[in-house]
Amino acid sequence: MKSLALKIPPAPAAQKILTVAVAGNPNAGKSTLINAIAGTRLQVGNWPGVTVEKKEAVLEYQGQKIRLVDLPGTYSLSPYSEEERIARDFLLEEAPDVIIDVIDATNLERNLYLTMQLLELGLPVVAALNIYDEAHNQGLQINTRAIEEVLGARVVPTVATKKRGVEELLAAMVAVGDDPGARRPRTVSYGTDIETAAQEVAEEIKRLHPHLEERYPLRWLALKLLEGDRQVLQEARLGGNEAFAGGQAVRHLRQAHGEDLEALMADARYGRAAGLTREVMKKAERQRTELTEKIDRWVLNRFLGIPIFLAAMWLVFKLTFDLSAPFSDWMDQMINGPFKRGAEALMTLLQAPDWLVSLATDGVIAGVGFVLVFIPVIFAMMFFITFLEGSGYMARAAFVMDRAMHAMGLHGKSFIPLLLGFGCNVPAIYATRTLENPRDKALTALLIPLMSCGARLPVYVVFVGVFFAAYSGTVIWSLYVLGLGLAVIMGVLFKKTIFRGEYPLFIMELPPYRLPGLKSLLIHTWEKGKHFLIKAGTYIFAVSVLTWFLLNLPWGVEQKKDSYLGQAAAVVAPVLKPLGFGNWEAAASLITGVIAKEIVVGTMGEIYTPKAKDAKQEAAPTLGEDLKEMGVSFLAAGKEAVLNVFSSFGSTKFSMEEKEKNRPLKAVIQQQFTPLSAYAFMAFVLLYMPCMVVAVAFRHEFGSWKWFGVAFGYEMILAWVVALAIYQGGKLLGLGG
Amino acid sequence: MNLAKLAPGERGKITKIGALGPLKRRLMDMGVLVGEEVRVEKVAPLGDPIEITVKNYKLSLRKSEAEGIAVEVVA
Repeated sequence: MKSLALKIPPAPAAQKILTVAVAGNPNAGKSTLINAIAGTRLQVGNWPGVTVEKKEAVLEYQGQKIRLVDLPGTYSLSPYSEEERIARDFLLEEAPDVIIDVIDATNLERNLYLTMQLLELGLPVVAALNIYDEAHNQGLQINTRAIEEVLGARVVPTVATKKRGVEELLAAMVAVGDDPGARRPRTVSYGTDIETAAQEVAEEIKRLHPHLEERYPLRWLALKLLEGDRQVLQEARLGGNEAFAGGQAVRHLRQAHGEDLEALMADARYGRAAGLTREVMKKAERQRTELTEKIDRWVLNRFLGIPIFLAAMWLVFKLTFDLSAPFSDWMDQMINGPFKRGAEALMTLLQAPDWLVSLATDGVIAGVGFVLVFIPVIFAMMFFITFLEGSGYMARAAFVMDRAMHAMGLHGKSFIPLLLGFGCNVPAIYATRTLENPRDKALTALLIPLMSCGARLPVYVVFVGVFFAAYSGTVIWSLYVLGLGLAVIMGVLFKKTIFRGEYPLFIMELPPYRLPGLKSLLIHTWEKGKHFLIKAGTYIFAVSVLTWFLLNLPWGVEQKKDSYLGQAAAVVAPVLKPLGFGNWEAAASLITGVIAKEIVVGTMGEIYTPKAKDAKQEAAPTLGEDLKEMGVSFLAAGKEAVLNVFSSFGSTKFSMEEKEKNRPLKAVIQQQFTPLSAYAFMAFVLLYMPCMVVAVAFRHEFGSWKWFGVAFGYEMILAWVVALAIYQGGKLLGLGG
Repeated sequence: MNLAKLAPGERGKITKIGALGPLKRRLMDMGVLVGEEVRVEKVAPLGDPIEITVKNYKLSLRKSEAEGIAVEVVA
């Protein structure tokens, strides 16, 4: 390469960047392939105007700059879902230099159906015949050369999970991009009747609407007008179908094949896809029973399906929590221990005023701590959720649960956003975009806040650690179930009141089970986790600094009660009295928790734990000791995480509660709450208004505050009523006040 | 006869798709076409939806959607 570069002068600065769009069916391994190509160079964002995820990367291959754009996974380019519209609009408007069509080699025919539609655009296509190894193992022999000949497009076998074929794919991209004129795909004929009619429509466009030819590829436009594509008719302002009912050939087409030209076109495309598949693929004589079928015999079994589903969900949460807790703990200790001590010592050395030291340590550093503590649990959760999605089990979960979801007026797919809600309500709100019907989308979003998110977990952990340490898992689980139960009730209630009408479609592929590649999984987890960190992290940090101000201003207040926050809380407290926690401290923590629920604990820490300066000074370790401790305790955390996973199921204790740091806070909580009022408090935290970030997500996703307003209103009422019922009901049953 | 009435293991050849609009287009995009042979694989544990094999892959759809797909049973 280097010697070559010497001979050829470098390309001018304004070198053309190849735009490469990556299209393909869902479950064809598109994400994995893109991760394999671009890795950490991927930039994740949103498509303009909508919140469908958009991945992009700029990379260089053999001196050629390539802009890689990931299109949403689609089965078709019809204008019925947001994903399809995005993919289509990008291809039409940006006319990329190359389209990479990711094809699942084990499912050739259905994938080629999309390929046919991509070819209609007349843009150069390179087909990545992905999951090639699996196809080979299934005894499928695919003649890639034959596909190339028929389609006039390059075909590259790839195995994205093993990074095979990536180099060849890049080379093909560059080669095709360099010489687009010679690489136009062949026109795949749909038969004389359709082609003649399309020709006729094309002539009519040229004659009557020449401006349209500049906006759309002519043959594509003709075919779309034939099948009566809603979006094209609208965009081209051609009104109804009538505009093109005219010509002799189109009339002949209708007479010979029936009025439903949309069905005819689908048939024709599938016909070509099926014909090509027969031509290029040889199947083994005897097909083995596939692994997927064997697994599904259990997983979708009439009797075992639901227990397995529940067990899988439980396992995910156990793993998420047990693996991450020791590391969360470690971060917490480090921030509040060595780091804080160091900063304090340094600032004292610089003779900083007291209030500044307090702001830096109790405001800023504690704020950073709040954010960092959530990294392990958020990442672990993201990892397992991504694993469920990538493995193919998520679709089974939707299949198993659809009936139940449907009873609440929801869609099986609603389950996925609701499930994500357990991690964080914010991505869950965004995930409702998978629902096509706006009503069910809104209904799903309204129920998401009832899913107990990761941010509520730290509140439970502290309280459960104090009052229910012996059966911590069970108590926390009961709160999740409480949220779910109320979601069912509210779902039915909403279905019968605000929402009436048709339900969305439930037509979903059950993809084969696959083991997601670890690297791809990690990249994906990192992308999602990073997103959370930036969005929620900034928020949490800002709020804990703000809280410091609320708590400590007016400066010099002796009692927290006299601070601004305390004053506000004192006003709210009486309303909470019937619920068992009518003190200003609880009210204050709930007020700050509105902005992010995990801050409930942070605020309690600030209020309840007095700054024990004398205690700290007596045994402050040296810097050396601190550094050593950091390393040792990190290793210990790792060991604990492993032990947790292999410890007996169900009897796991949360490691956090054993630790020194929370001890003062827990001691105070023990005095202030009873087990009953603690449970009512946890239920209240579960149910009362979703956090501000969720509010922002609602606004973003629905374009107005309307649905957040509904969520806010019903949740406040629900939280108060349920906490009241728990506390007063419990007292009546003699569970103690 | 419609697709929703087939028992797991039974095969049917699609004779008509009665659905309209987006539902019909979606079915067709997924390869559920007139003349296509499909096989009912499973019914979900709660009785709905159903899983079918079409075009050599697995698709799930609700019974209410399958009812609009007329089939003739294939022995």
